[in-house]
Amino acid sequence: MKDLVQLELIRESLIAVVNEMRANIIHSSYAPIIYEGHDFSCALMSADGRQVAQGLADHPIHIFAVPYSTQQVVATFKDDINEGDLFLHNDPYTGGTHLNDVLMLQPVFLGGKLGMFAAMRCHWNDVGGMTPGSLSGRVNEIIQEGIRIEPTKICDRGVMNEPFMNLLFNNMRARSERLGDFNAMVGTGRKAEEHLQRLYKRFGDGLLSGVEELIDRSERQLRAKISERPDGDYFGEGYIESDGTNPDPLVVKLKLTVRGDEIIADFTGTSAQTNGPTNCGPAMALNAVGTIVKSFLDPKTPINQGSFNPITVISEEGTFINARNDAPCGGMAECKFLIDSVVASAMGHVAPEMTVGDLKGGANHVIISGVDDGGGNYIHYEWPAGGTGASDGTDGSNAVRSFNEGDFNSIQSVEMVEGQFPLRVERCEIRENMCGDGEYRGGFGLRRDVRILSGRGALSVISEKNVIPPYGVEGASNGAANSFVVIRDGEIVEPSDMPGKVSGFALRPGDIVREETAGGGGYGDPLEREPEKVLADVAENYLSEADAEARFGVVIHGGSVDGAATKARRQAMFEEQITVTLELSNEELADGPRRQFAVPRALADRIGVSDGDLVELVTGRGAPLRAWTTIAGDGEAVVVSSTSMDIIGTAPGDRVRLRATVSRPETAA
Amino acid sequence: MTEQKYIVGIDVGGTFTDLLCLNSESQELLSEKVPSIPGRQWEGVLGALEKLGIDYSEIRAFVHGTTIATNALLERKGAKTGLVTTDGFRDTLEIGRTRRLIGGLFDIKFVRPKPLVSRDLRVEIDERVAADGEILKTAAEVDFSLIMEKFRESGVESIAIAFINAYRNDENEAAALEKLQAMAGDIPVCTSTGVVPEKGEFERFSTCVLNAYLTPVIRTYLDTLAGELEGQGISAPVNVMGSNGGVMTLDQAAQFAAGTFLSGPVGGAGGAVRICEMAGVDDCITFDMGGTSTDVALIHQLMPRISHTNQIDAYPLQVPQLDIHTIGAGGGSIAWVQPDGTLEVGPQSAGAMPGPACYQRGGTEPTISDANLMLGRLPTDRTLSGGLELSKELSEKAFEDLADRLGEGAGTPIQLADGVLRIAVSKMAGAVREVSVHRGFDPRDFALLGFGGAGPMHVFLVAEELSIPQVIVPRFPGHLSALGQLLADLRHDFVIAWGGPLDTLDIAEFGTRAAEMRRDAAALLSEDGFAEGRHEHTFTVDMRYVGQSFTLSIPCDPDKASWDDLREAFHNRHEQTFGRADRHSDVELVNIRLFSLGLIDKPELSFSADDAGDPVIECRQVWFGDDWADCPIMDRTKMGAGEVFQGPMIIEEAGGTSVVPPGWTVTVHASGSLDCRRRYDD
Repeated sequence: MKDLVQLELIRESLIAVVNEMRANIIHSSYAPIIYEGHDFSCALMSADGRQVAQGLADHPIHIFAVPYSTQQVVATFKDDINEGDLFLHNDPYTGGTHLNDVLMLQPVFLGGKLGMFAAMRCHWNDVGGMTPGSLSGRVNEIIQEGIRIEPTKICDRGVMNEPFMNLLFNNMRARSERLGDFNAMVGTGRKAEEHLQRLYKRFGDGLLSGVEELIDRSERQLRAKISERPDGDYFGEGYIESDGTNPDPLVVKLKLTVRGDEIIADFTGTSAQTNGPTNCGPAMALNAVGTIVKSFLDPKTPINQGSFNPITVISEEGTFINARNDAPCGGMAECKFLIDSVVASAMGHVAPEMTVGDLKGGANHVIISGVDDGGGNYIHYEWPAGGTGASDGTDGSNAVRSFNEGDFNSIQSVEMVEGQFPLRVERCEIRENMCGDGEYRGGFGLRRDVRILSGRGALSVISEKNVIPPYGVEGASNGAANSFVVIRDGEIVEPSDMPGKVSGFALRPGDIVREETAGGGGYGDPLEREPEKVLADVAENYLSEADAEARFGVVIHGGSVDGAATKARRQAMFEEQITVTLELSNEELADGPRRQFAVPRALADRIGVSDGDLVELVTGRGAPLRAWTTIAGDGEAVVVSSTSMDIIGTAPGDRVRLRATVSRPETAA
Repeated sequence: MTEQKYIVGIDVGGTFTDLLCLNSESQELLSEKVPSIPGRQWEGVLGALEKLGIDYSEIRAFVHGTTIATNALLERKGAKTGLVTTDGFRDTLEIGRTRRLIGGLFDIKFVRPKPLVSRDLRVEIDERVAADGEILKTAAEVDFSLIMEKFRESGVESIAIAFINAYRNDENEAAALEKLQAMAGDIPVCTSTGVVPEKGEFERFSTCVLNAYLTPVIRTYLDTLAGELEGQGISAPVNVMGSNGGVMTLDQAAQFAAGTFLSGPVGGAGGAVRICEMAGVDDCITFDMGGTSTDVALIHQLMPRISHTNQIDAYPLQVPQLDIHTIGAGGGSIAWVQPDGTLEVGPQSAGAMPGPACYQRGGTEPTISDANLMLGRLPTDRTLSGGLELSKELSEKAFEDLADRLGEGAGTPIQLADGVLRIAVSKMAGAVREVSVHRGFDPRDFALLGFGGAGPMHVFLVAEELSIPQVIVPRFPGHLSALGQLLADLRHDFVIAWGGPLDTLDIAEFGTRAAEMRRDAAALLSEDGFAEGRHEHTFTVDMRYVGQSFTLSIPCDPDKASWDDLREAFHNRHEQTFGRADRHSDVELVNIRLFSLGLIDKPELSFSADDAGDPVIECRQVWFGDDWADCPIMDRTKMGAGEVFQGPMIIEEAGGTSVVPPGWTVTVHASGSLDCRRRYDD
């Protein structure tokens, strides 16, 4: 009994330490992205670099990469890790995320031995590189994204390596802010050490054996949950729209195997790394699989390394999800969220009750920088949230962080922005009508207009799902795609020929940067949505009356639902849907990374697509399968490859719905 | 003409209503405890008054702590509220800063709580203030009649006005207020700057809307209350406890509903200050444990800490509140088995019905109270105060069932009960750390003050968990909240956004600004009926390093302040709180804050032993640490001032049982409190 109680006490205590670390960072940091945006995380690692504890607001994207980094530090310095040391790391290829996320590790010695590491990973607003803020959509090599720090000892037994730190800070913009955030991390490491010493004094070596037991329990728990699911192979596929340098997409291919109490995620066939920013290091694929498996099978228990042990990831080195030097990694969040989407679509077949509409598809990094009238440089960075995906019984939420993200702020306070920068936020509101329709609809994204008041400015953006929108599941529609444009003299100006990838676009006073974020994908057939729920959305002005009728088939007269007209309208809409017969192709149908369906001309005309347009097959189970149209034949059948059949679980001769994939709902308004 | 000599404190809790009546002539305290009647709390109060047997015409005033605001919010039973806001910002309440604010990680089915104003009732007008306060578009020309018409048609019961950048210039909000008020009749209207004139639109809008949402609820409640009392021929005024620990008049409370969320628990902190004063203790942490939750607060140099940034449910609340941290662990908290086979306690509670298994009211889940009973800390052969008879068999049954669910390693029911108690104690210790360590204080420098129905039973264990060397248990621990209400002063809080880097500030102007604030405060207190000699003003300034966002609050006296002293005080505070000070960085001042008290007469409280004699009632076996020990059970009323006792022992009195483990020395202080000490080996 003593052990069970002690275990609970240890778990609570460790989470409390992480929470205290978080509070310390928030209250003592200098950059708004940390204290306002909360773009940082804290965790505790074991002496050999396994994850021990994280807090409930910490971002999986940071935390699950930390074990990689910590293990690199341990492998590099081996026995030369001493009390009073500090290590720094941000190298994506050895467990980092993007260069801006700088990890500090403080070894904590318990009873004379290395016991744990306190880990603080904070997004530094600038780490050098070619554009202010370091992130941009049009880079070609990682050198342009800032300084890369492989495992480095910056403090040796209490003596700081000042020349190295000077070198570092001299190569970053806004030096004093960098220094302030660095100091906040140092102070937090000290506080964490204090707390851990206190716990060690209390629990003795039982603290470390308790940690092992907790990790074992998490592993056993997840293995039990996996065992409850049927063995089998499940498939998923998704695209990075463009790497920012090249208009071709990148594909992630996944075969997810459930075998007994383990899961194997095989990403063989995924595109090679690119010269653009949409690459990530090896930590991200495990990170994504871990996050989604945890969310689908065991969301309620605290997370640690044990939650990863039942999972094996296979990804080839040199693909864009396991990139090598010198691939830029500024868009690692975009890659990670894409892998999340792909894993979620496969897991939707493993645990159908958890199937969920797709999300906004990345961080939506928006950086507005410039020189104010006084000649001072400024960098304003925000990363607007979108609507979240719907699931069985639950509509998505509007403009808020989703389940696979830490609880970040992403939209900076208007009054803070206007007080600090020569900018005026003219509106920040719900993006009406742009949800993914379904029996349960996805959440709405937001629209934000930021005007440049004076001085020169520049806009950089890295985002995804500007062209290929978040998918709906179980027959639902997709949410609207993200959009980032500039309004100049009342006209829309595209800041890049590749939507969502912008690098230092020159802004003039009076320009408005318009950010519009994706709506979440829906769940289930929109024609099955309770009419009263549609009416409620209309009453609150989320949805126009015309859209209610055009998209949900709900006819509203005088503020209430016309039952008979709704029934008739829905019947008519159902009959207008196009269902096709699937025919098997003997060879893979693809144009480079692009999956293809061969669609007869007459059919293409009926759904309103032409050669090269994106379409999707909708089985009503899980996510749709998307491919590019190639016009061929003149029958009634759509020709697809065997891999297409596998992904959506169909056989030749099956009848399946075919529709055009549109980047935003066709609103009546 | 009869002398109005009674002041009555009324603490309406979830389970019980506590009533404490002070006779200001004899300094005698009378107490009464009756079950709370949900929805009709005043029937309970009137019943209790009657039981006290005092002459209603001799009541001078009531002070009331209520959880009505919290309950109305949690049950979403506030008023239908309309919001008037800046063009482009109707969704500020909904988008916030896009955080979830409550949980949601890994939770696919997470649904964000909806804003308190439905979207169709958030109306935009064409007004705008720039970040420097310049009026870009005036609200003076706006026609509000259509908005008012829409609100009326929709049945709006309360109106909030909240504009972007109004903290820099509230002219447009004031113009809108004037126009809407002229049309609104009985419908209350409030502005964001009227409620909280601070930077940060989401927090300010949210606070303003919370205020609007609750104002009609509070008004109705207080009107009903005053009416009921009048019906009984009682004309004494009713004052309400405010979240800042001070008393509000009925009118103030009706204007500032957002200031009443902590009306219930603040009384305890106020009572604690008085107890500390009497016991000669400057620094303490309060430990107020009831049936379903535990409230803790830190008192430094006889001042409860104030927090300016708060959140209730998923809604930010930017008003000064006592920094009270509440966790869901109380006597009724249930022990259960988590999915991965580990043991957990709470936050679910058996409440008053069915209550812990031992209450014999149908509860079958093992609770903290059951654990205490099994470990010999509660009597099985005598009834509790309140007439409750406890069944040890039912507690044992509940723990046996729990052991079955845990399977291997669960141990005996006694060991399990001990373990459940340890987990609960660890959680409560976590709450104490939250208000101390998180705020840069070392809990070992504080005394832990245990009160509330279950506080004295657990306070020593929590102290041991944190190596706190001193525990205070006041007389009448179950009534301390009501006592605090009797003793609370009237309080007003003020803030102005004034400052900049210290090098650029003129100390003389600081003095002028502070003097203006003090003058306004004094005028208000005089209006409230307090002579100048009864005013007390305390200033603090919010400071930070240039470039930081969060501020630390530094006490200061504007008449004697120097920037050097303030800078040094800030460096020290920063180092203490965050692990380091940046002595080379510039320091800036952000806000000047003032709180002003209208001091009431403080009664001389004394609690002497009722009568001498042997305080030992009986001896029984009680579980401490790893084993049973012989333990005397004491009657507190027979423990005389100056007497010293050694633990272990159990001290019983009406409304509270103190469980003193071995190693503690208990001295009965002249003020009646038990002053308990122990040492720890380092």
